[in-house]
Amino acid sequence: MKKVISLLFFSGLVAGALAQDFNKNLASARSSYASGDLENARFAMEQLLNNLDAAIGKEVLAMLPTAMGSLNYNQKDDNVTGSSAGIASGLYVHRTYGVHPKSATIDIINNSPMIASINAILNTPLIGGMMRNDNQKVVKVQGYKSILQKSENSDTAKTSFELQVPFNNTLLTFKMDDTNEGEITQFANSIPISKIAQVAQ
Amino acid sequence: MKIHYVLPIGVALSLIAFSASAQFGKRLLQKAGQKAEQKAEDALDKKLAGNQNQNPGTTGGNAPGTTGANSTGNTKSGNGNPSNNSGGGLVSTPPDVKQNLADAETAYQSKSYGEARYSVQQAMLGVELEIGNKILKSLPSTISGLNKIEQEDQVASSGFGWAGLTIQRKYSDGKDKQFSLVIANNSAWMSAINLYMSSGGYAQQTGGQQNWKQTKVKGNRAIIEYNEGSGYKLSVPIGQSSLIVFEGINFASEQEMMTAAGVVDIDGIKKQLGEQ
Repeated sequence: MKKVISLLFFSGLVAGALAQDFNKNLASARSSYASGDLENARFAMEQLLNNLDAAIGKEVLAMLPTAMGSLNYNQKDDNVTGSSAGIASGLYVHRTYGVHPKSATIDIINNSPMIASINAILNTPLIGGMMRNDNQKVVKVQGYKSILQKSENSDTAKTSFELQVPFNNTLLTFKMDDTNEGEITQFANSIPISKIAQVAQ
Repeated sequence: MKIHYVLPIGVALSLIAFSASAQFGKRLLQKAGQKAEQKAEDALDKKLAGNQNQNPGTTGGNAPGTTGANSTGNTKSGNGNPSNNSGGGLVSTPPDVKQNLADAETAYQSKSYGEARYSVQQAMLGVELEIGNKILKSLPSTISGLNKIEQEDQVASSGFGWAGLTIQRKYSDGKDKQFSLVIANNSAWMSAINLYMSSGGYAQQTGGQQNWKQTKVKGNRAIIEYNEGSGYKLSVPIGQSSLIVFEGINFASEQEMMTAAGVVDIDGIKKQLGEQ
């Protein structure tokens, strides 16, 4: 209960700050454009996109399950940002579950240039055939074609799985350590992918 | 005795006669065959001519479904659909920046963040196209005696940050000499390219070959390359995330290429793109 109240309080604070930033950047974009300062207008619009991505990310985060079986989510690791996704600006949502050695991670990236290459593997038999290996296969999760990759720790002999689900221009990556195919697929089915796709598009 | 001579002569004569008749028969058969072939070809020609009249969309040796320049009054393509021979294409009006910003505000207030983002992207697209057109206007109309090809002017943007803005201009003498420049700005890839080029990574990659070298254009570090097939290529990274690529076809020397690139106001472009 305490956790839920603090989460709601935190969300309220973030929403307020986001709204302030959005209004400030919108005003800046308008005034720069009106004065013919196109470069600054563009910069303000980039900030607006970041604000909106953060707002969308917050909504997506609220949709993600708070537990994967016995693994509870780590609230302090929750991360929503509009720009720090490495090479791609855009939506980035991050959530972790459990603690080492049994842990899981969900990453959602929007507008990612990586999506094209994953879609190529999924939809082009020739490319898919060339790039596939014994530890990789194409599976369907809630009707979405996905890539499931298995890796084995040679020291502990435990297996980890990574599931990549591309939809529209968004990529959802679900990683889990010390697991098996059945478990990761079961947990992946608890992620509301179609709802996330709707919000993130 | 007479019979003794007559019999072989008779046999020989009949053999000659048979042979002659066989040759005649053969010729007759050949002739008949040729006639039959000719008839068949004529029939086929007539048939084809008839088909062409029935299907005017496939004249002049064109593939079915295509309308050739020598076709007359074609109104249907090979699959029976009418061919499009009118229509004004798409109107390439840049998005209305002010309207899209207003739409974004409304969508944000109603918590339709996806819609708000779309509107901001459209507004950004509008601004990027304006920036591109402004830069195109600032470029000289002639470089090294080559005139700009106005219809080849191009500004491309997707409104997505990582795809960036691309501006293109071409100059030509109307024959085989051409100078072109492409400005790529604000793409996520650009910062990586700039870092790679300015840190000497490019030099290590192609070390030993003499078809490239590092140089400077108006104080900006650059790479010049020469290829027998495509001519000169001069890449100038500017600021944090922009790159200008000059290409010269049929330029006599490196010096001529450098002089042509030097005509372009790189600092002015840098300023307009907001680069430092």
